[in-house]
Amino acid sequence: MNSPGVIAITGLGSYLGRSLVRRLLQRSPNIRIVGLDCRRPFRLDPLVRFHTVDLTEPTADSRVAEVLAEERAEAVVHTAFRSEPTPNLEMDHELETIGSLHVMNACAAAKVKRLVVASSTMLYGPWPDNPNFLTEQHPLRGHPGSHSVSNRVQVESLLAQWRAHHPDTEVTVLRFCWIFGPTYWDHVARYFSRILVPKLMGYDPLMQFVHEEDGVHALETATLHQHPGVFNVVGRGVLPLSTILRIAGKRILSMPSPILYRMAYYPSQGQTGDPPEGFYDYLRYLWVADGQRGWNAFGEPVYTTREAWMSFVSTRRMRRYR
Amino acid sequence: MNDGTDLETPIDAERPDVLSADLREALDGLRGEIRTRFPARQRAPVEKVDWMALIRKIQRRVSTLGMSERSGEVDEFGMDEIVLRRTRPVLELLYEHYWRIELHGIDQVPDAGPCLFVANRSGLLPYDGLMVSHAIWRMRSKLRPRFMVADWLITLPFVQPYLARLGGVRSCRENAERLIRSGEAILVFPEGQKGAAKVFRERYRLKRFGRGGVVRVALETRVPIIPIGIVGAEEAHPILFKWDTPARVVGLPFLPVTPTFPLLGPLGLLPLPTKWVIRIGEPISIDHLAPDAASDELLISRMNEELRSQIQVLIDTGLSDRSSVWD
Repeated sequence: MNSPGVIAITGLGSYLGRSLVRRLLQRSPNIRIVGLDCRRPFRLDPLVRFHTVDLTEPTADSRVAEVLAEERAEAVVHTAFRSEPTPNLEMDHELETIGSLHVMNACAAAKVKRLVVASSTMLYGPWPDNPNFLTEQHPLRGHPGSHSVSNRVQVESLLAQWRAHHPDTEVTVLRFCWIFGPTYWDHVARYFSRILVPKLMGYDPLMQFVHEEDGVHALETATLHQHPGVFNVVGRGVLPLSTILRIAGKRILSMPSPILYRMAYYPSQGQTGDPPEGFYDYLRYLWVADGQRGWNAFGEPVYTTREAWMSFVSTRRMRRYR
Repeated sequence: MNDGTDLETPIDAERPDVLSADLREALDGLRGEIRTRFPARQRAPVEKVDWMALIRKIQRRVSTLGMSERSGEVDEFGMDEIVLRRTRPVLELLYEHYWRIELHGIDQVPDAGPCLFVANRSGLLPYDGLMVSHAIWRMRSKLRPRFMVADWLITLPFVQPYLARLGGVRSCRENAERLIRSGEAILVFPEGQKGAAKVFRERYRLKRFGRGGVVRVALETRVPIIPIGIVGAEEAHPILFKWDTPARVVGLPFLPVTPTFPLLGPLGLLPLPTKWVIRIGEPISIDHLAPDAASDELLISRMNEELRSQIQVLIDTGLSDRSSVWD
């Protein structure tokens, strides 16, 4: 199968789902788009056939399968993941792990030919013994301190098992690194747009970002064309964290790790939007993902890490002019 | 310089017709005499201290911890050309005057291109890596080997940013292969942590060279191995014994007790100014080996042992040549 005629997208409300719909409507008018989410997104294009599905319900799998069979979906893009970590761990697990399992089972029942799943390079885990560049073969070790990452790691391992049992379905996993751009917003963007940015004292890791357009382009290419396998979706180049904060004209609050971890715990429990303490582990060691495989498959990214960051900084007007 | 008196400008400069010629002469003489009798006093310049600027500067220094000199443009492993250029005089000083390093066998080193330098590891902090890569760089301007550093060191706070900017890379096979494939030379210390933790009485006796990872990388990437023996560096941090209990508390692999550390506190971490001799041996060529040699475990372990003995010979030559540790 090369280009699918009907594409079902779960998680229309998420950035990736929403942007993919916009892109497909603009560039591939012959494709019928089916949207699934727990509530109808604001200003949904009338060309998208929308179905309300709550993936946290116990019977979500049969409901999704019903929709997929009814619409005769040929490809499923699974982007129904949270953009923010939540202290509600049970709900998080229900949505991310069990919800993904429901989608997979529904795909098997509806005999979908292609399944594209959005993932993250955060799943490799911030380990001190990571090599500087992690390829797709590197094991997903996750992060014991972060529930959302552990859930996503479970999703990927379930998906690997599922793929072994369903060889007829092409499965593409896209591991995005941190996405930046004019409109993308998640907990990482929120962390970096604070006035006073806390950081670990004595560490200056290398950062790697992908621009939202490059990310959506990779997702679109993986949906429309045949690219089975796992890919890191990253931008070219790396920048030290201190340089990134200096470009944005941020005030840096360097704190020793024990104090920072303790200080980060309570605000994140109170859902103030501050990153959970485990997040700072990702700002500690020198490792990024190796994007060569993704670049070969989806083409050279338009924006480098620095350009992705600059576009984020300039649209948020963070730069102080001196 | 304004000395308070207005002797420099003539009194009659603006109204030349007022004074007669002899009066002017007398005035000139008087002026000269005043100048010789009362030499211009230097008034100490009063500078206002801009406290806010000072505080801001200190804040910035603390928050970036000395890394404000970097350019921000780093290569993919975090090395910064500007930092390198700025630290070059410091490295040169250490090289020429602190350790008075002698370099032998530089003709064995190619002008450019990927190669794998293998040396004996010594001391807690990677001064040896810094010095060897500097030594090669000053003789071969196109070649600056990236030195590989142990995991625990490259993840140590305050040390990590500096090491990365100066060209240190966490030592693991993936990094080594990637660097060689991108055309860089690397400097590895296959003794690893066992080498760094050698106590004084075991100095210059090489430990096991891992499980042959170095040879395997060389065979897979088809680059020559160049052995290096460093003499002197192992006395720069003479470890008398290792103290485990406090090390476990801090999270270090071991806490070395040297004659000065922890007795003198952080000052004791300064290496001693011993005399170093860096000897570069003959490259071990792998061109005659079959391409599938990387899967031959016996060959790898034999080559590994050969490499080890070659470096041991280099070290022993250096040891027998010197008269004392200090010169």
